[in-house]
Amino acid sequence: MPLAAKKAARYAVAFFLIISLNFAIPRAMPGDPLTNLLGEDVDAAGSTIVELREKMGLDQPLHLQYLCYWRNILCLDLGYSYHLHSPVSSAILSRIRWTLLLSVPSLILGAAIGTFFGALAGWKRREAVGKLETALVLTVFCTPPYFLSLLALYVLSFYLGLFPLKGFYSSGSWLDIAHHFMLPVLVMTLFSASRNYMIMRGSVIQEKASLYAAYARAKGLYGNQILFRHIFKNALLPIITLLALDFGFILSGALFIEIVFSMNGMGNLIYDALLSRDYPVLQGSFLIITVMVIAANLLADLLYSRVDPRVRWQ
Amino acid sequence: MFDLIGALSASSKIGLALFLLFLLMAVFAEAVAPYDPWLRFSPFMPPGFAHLLGTNDLGNDILSELIFGSRVSLIVGFGAAIMATVIGTVVGLLAGYFRGLTDELLMGLTDVFLMIPQIPLIIVLAAFLRPSFWMTALLMGCLWWTSTARVVRSRALQVREMSYVESAASLGFSRAHIIFTDVLPNVLHVIMPKFLLAIASALIAEASISFLGLGDLTMKSWGMMINFAFTRGGFINGYWWWYLPPGLCVTLFVLSVILMGSNLEDREEVVQVAQ
Repeated sequence: MPLAAKKAARYAVAFFLIISLNFAIPRAMPGDPLTNLLGEDVDAAGSTIVELREKMGLDQPLHLQYLCYWRNILCLDLGYSYHLHSPVSSAILSRIRWTLLLSVPSLILGAAIGTFFGALAGWKRREAVGKLETALVLTVFCTPPYFLSLLALYVLSFYLGLFPLKGFYSSGSWLDIAHHFMLPVLVMTLFSASRNYMIMRGSVIQEKASLYAAYARAKGLYGNQILFRHIFKNALLPIITLLALDFGFILSGALFIEIVFSMNGMGNLIYDALLSRDYPVLQGSFLIITVMVIAANLLADLLYSRVDPRVRWQ
Repeated sequence: MFDLIGALSASSKIGLALFLLFLLMAVFAEAVAPYDPWLRFSPFMPPGFAHLLGTNDLGNDILSELIFGSRVSLIVGFGAAIMATVIGTVVGLLAGYFRGLTDELLMGLTDVFLMIPQIPLIIVLAAFLRPSFWMTALLMGCLWWTSTARVVRSRALQVREMSYVESAASLGFSRAHIIFTDVLPNVLHVIMPKFLLAIASALIAEASISFLGLGDLTMKSWGMMINFAFTRGGFINGYWWWYLPPGLCVTLFVLSVILMGSNLEDREEVVQVAQ
């Protein structure tokens, strides 16, 4: 299949280019590549610098460095963080599960809620209550996530004392962890739902005008039956893409929410790396995120061609 | 002109009004702002008659900061959007008009760019570069042209088959002439909504990057104001007048842009149905 071959080639090129970009960034940026590779709080002098330079392979010609870089990546070696005193890969691994615990339920809940209400809103778009609802969702959609998180934290946790102020747990029991997770999950669900809502609404409005909807009406089906039996499935197509892409950002999507709620996941790992200019962690995280995003795009393509026969036969 | 405004839906009128308000605020910042945003009064004053929105930790008047901040934020938004739109339009026009190998290559490039996680990349680059706000706008512009390129291409593919393009070609006009005087004007209406969307996402991205402490320290954008309030204890002490206004401004401005754009898209639907 020529189309599949073309797509595969594009993915391969994208993968190759982005990994290479990751190689080029610390070496092309202003300043000493050694500092750029190790992070700025590494304070070495004289012989240590020469030793480190040798160890990092910086004394070798660029093409050898490049080959070595690829070998390391294929061995899943993302370098060593002198700031955290641990290999980057294990630092990332230890944070991932907390981030997943936050983002997986939020994305699933958000998709379910957003799709359902978005479909209804698209179906009955002229009603006054629906308009108000859409306006509210649109406002959430337009707010920077960290700002809404800050407001929620301030009003619900700080002012009303309903939720804990920070972190994942204080005592470690499941109930305690759930209590800590409630507000961040709520905020993230809200954002995910607002995205799904807007897309589903637009999609239903478009599908509503098609002939099969009119036919279903002529057959004598009632409003909600037409929506959920016929239109819903077709209108769901763009949501599949969105969900697949959300999966790509599952590690970095919670970045701002994690920072605001001081949760020790991937997002805060990146934030701490930023504050201390811990470049290896920053780059390692970027690499992982990139691979996830490319995989998600691939997933979206595959899913889409499975679900929509019109795409398959093009 | 008035007919055009009359044809807008109610929500788009609100969007347009808000948008113009912000635009006027940014352009005439000197005339509107009560003080110089860098001038220092006594710190942490709550809102009152002398300072309508109070003062921050350095004693800067927050209303003035907000008004001058609109200028910085809007420049970043517009700068990034203009760049993204120009790149996207040129790529889309070339791919759509020439088709064949040019199309394959340019759309392949678009696909590759589409797969780069943009915000993480900007964060990594900003960490190394510590960019000025011009740089931030430039970076975003270089990354956000992909969706514009796609819609322009698919529209250009249609337009190039129209008879007026054919007649221009048979009259011997050069390709560049045809692309820019015959094809370009007929793809403008698909560019506009993308342009507005680019402004909105650039503004949110700028506010987010500033919040991470990667913004331009010499410029007070809305994002930087929130960042200062967050890092210098505005939240913990409950100084709502410090962080609430800039956050609301970001939200309202983005909302105004999206509302305007939604009307353009509705009209687009109407145009398509009418064809």
